[in-house]
Amino acid sequence: MATRHVRNLAVDTLDGPHQAARRAQLELVTDRVTPLTLAREQTLPVHDSLTSLFPDGALRRGTIVGVGGVGATSLALAVAAGPSAAGSWTAFVGGTDIGLVAAGEHGVALERLLVVDPEPSVWSPTVAALIGAVDMIVISPKHRLRERDARRIGSRLRERGSVLVSIGSQWPVGADVQLDIAESQWCGIGVGHGVLQSRKVTITGSGRGAAARLRSLDVLLPGPGGGPRTIATVD
Amino acid sequence: MITPVRTLVAWCPDWPVVATGVPLDEPSAVLLANRVIAASPEARVHGVVRGLRRRAAQARCPELSVHDRDEAKEARLFEPVVAVLDDITPRVEVARPGVCALVSQGPSRYFGGEEVVAGLVRERMVEVVAGRTDVRVGVADGPFAAELVARAADPIRLVPPGTTAEFLAPMNIGVLERPDLADVLCRLGIRTLGAFAQLPATDVLARFGREGQGAHRLASGLDERLPDARQPPVDWSVSAEIDPPADRIDRVAFVARSIADELHRRLGRDGVTCVRVGIRAETEHGEELIRFWRHEGMLSDAAVADRVRWQLDGWLNGSAVSRPSGGITRLALVPDELIAATGRQLGFWGGETEADQRAVRVAARLQGQLGTDAVLVPEFHGGRHCHEQLTLIPTATVELAGRSLDPGDKTAPWPGSLPAPSPTRLLPDPMVVEILDEGGVVIEVTGRGLLSSPPAQLIVKGHRKAVVGWSGPWPIDERWWDVETYRRQARLQLVTADGQALLVVLEAGVWRVTAQWD
Repeated sequence: MATRHVRNLAVDTLDGPHQAARRAQLELVTDRVTPLTLAREQTLPVHDSLTSLFPDGALRRGTIVGVGGVGATSLALAVAAGPSAAGSWTAFVGGTDIGLVAAGEHGVALERLLVVDPEPSVWSPTVAALIGAVDMIVISPKHRLRERDARRIGSRLRERGSVLVSIGSQWPVGADVQLDIAESQWCGIGVGHGVLQSRKVTITGSGRGAAARLRSLDVLLPGPGGGPRTIATVD
Repeated sequence: MITPVRTLVAWCPDWPVVATGVPLDEPSAVLLANRVIAASPEARVHGVVRGLRRRAAQARCPELSVHDRDEAKEARLFEPVVAVLDDITPRVEVARPGVCALVSQGPSRYFGGEEVVAGLVRERMVEVVAGRTDVRVGVADGPFAAELVARAADPIRLVPPGTTAEFLAPMNIGVLERPDLADVLCRLGIRTLGAFAQLPATDVLARFGREGQGAHRLASGLDERLPDARQPPVDWSVSAEIDPPADRIDRVAFVARSIADELHRRLGRDGVTCVRVGIRAETEHGEELIRFWRHEGMLSDAAVADRVRWQLDGWLNGSAVSRPSGGITRLALVPDELIAATGRQLGFWGGETEADQRAVRVAARLQGQLGTDAVLVPEFHGGRHCHEQLTLIPTATVELAGRSLDPGDKTAPWPGSLPAPSPTRLLPDPMVVEILDEGGVVIEVTGRGLLSSPPAQLIVKGHRKAVVGWSGPWPIDERWWDVETYRRQARLQLVTADGQALLVVLEAGVWRVTAQWD
């Protein structure tokens, strides 16, 4: 249908009296041929060892990732590291106690990191301001988030395409992808000898839509040196 | 080929030092971000050069007095020096405090030759500078070459028209002030502007982009940009009425900021940018003050706002002669020498990207809402504890866009620091805990740095947790030479039955959890 319109217009463009009508037709056509991108095409990369936890193997823009369990901070940093290493900016909201050295070891680009610690009263506006301006927002709220604010943040995320990673407490209206550390086991440290080297964790994933399928992954988090590491590659 | 405009540059050496008010025969240095950016001749004799760290500079010259850079003050003190040139030509432009330029053609025709004008300029300026520093004057084709001539002058030097390229040829490539480019060229064996100028212009453009092209044109004695500067139509200037008339800098500065934004937006909309901007103020008694500022790296809105503030500061707090007799009623910015905004090639030298710009904007916005110190960025600090290696500093103190975080020598070996992985949570208020052995006896660390007995239980806020793994203790005896920051600690890594890994520190007989591998 669109093709036919275009052909008609091409034949008699400069014909006078019906110009306004043609212009309207042309606008209709431009609307129809506007390129369309599917949500799954708008993604941010994740660390190679974590791809199996996400539908499409990447972080879908505009989604909320909830992380929980013992080792949640480490997992949040690992999730943020993928986009950060690829050139995105990251913001920690309320995470002034997150170890920056550890963040660097996990692969978060420290030169593209902002840290904000707003009061609870201005917490939501701060997060809202960051959405769209930075690609990854890592939050660890110390206060209870109202459901209304959570919904508003969610819709703003979908509109602007940033990804929010929420550490610890459950996201009030349910996260799009929920990752929990079910089991963890430290390696390298004994009773009176050795040193903390790596942690073998079992991450279970659930969520909404394409992420609803239950899945689980064993991975070293942190691996030797800090970042996440698939178990197969470690001897 | 079109040669650049004959330009006269007057340079007051060591202006940042002069602005501190310290006589030049005393050793002193001006620092920006802990690096020397200017030093008095007396300090230079002792080997204090640009780029040195504060400590290194003080080591070379112990009696050195150091000052932080105050650009506003530099500009304010420079204003009366520039003001005396207004009789010679109305179009004096300030490149930065300490350096001003004027187009020499008009005045030299009027006064009878470039030499006469140069002499006159120097004479007038020396009078105002009054022995605080020298004044050097150079005349050449284009402002870039003219400034280099002024630096080589003693005290006046004229490079005849058309011979600027020959004058520039033996100069070191570093004078282009493009460290990345200079670095690459040096490695290619190109060390002088002459050698660089001999490269084919098309090849330079192909390899180094617009930035390289500009540098190549400068090295060849041409204007940095192709001569497509257009005269702006009048209505591109922006202005604001100030009512009631303002005679204090803070009130005008507020207006300055908003019209600088407006100018930037208006130029951006038309796809142009300006390299020179005129700042015009009208007072309630009908006086009109105008001064031009030039900036080679294109003027951003913040840069324009800064310059307006400095300029007004110079006018309002200057000498009685140049000070306006009444409050300022109208402030205008007149963009001059507009060029097409071709955009900078983003990311070629790891520079600014679009994501950077968005982040910079949101940081500025949040600073406005939450306070200047609310938005923080990491910075290498150096230390053996994980909370010391990187610290958070306000974004206002760094250049966010295209930032590269360079640890420098701050990751130099810190014996006693713990190996990676580092803890992911650092407790702001370390939690006091008790560590007990099998028999319920509190564990201590002996003078030899050993545990009195192996730990078995950890008591956190009354809750008992079994210890399943531990390692240490690693003693640390820091800064014993300083009473205030002296620290003697023993550190222990603990893994509890619930899978948590903790860093506990014994200091003054008390165990505290300072960090957690969450």
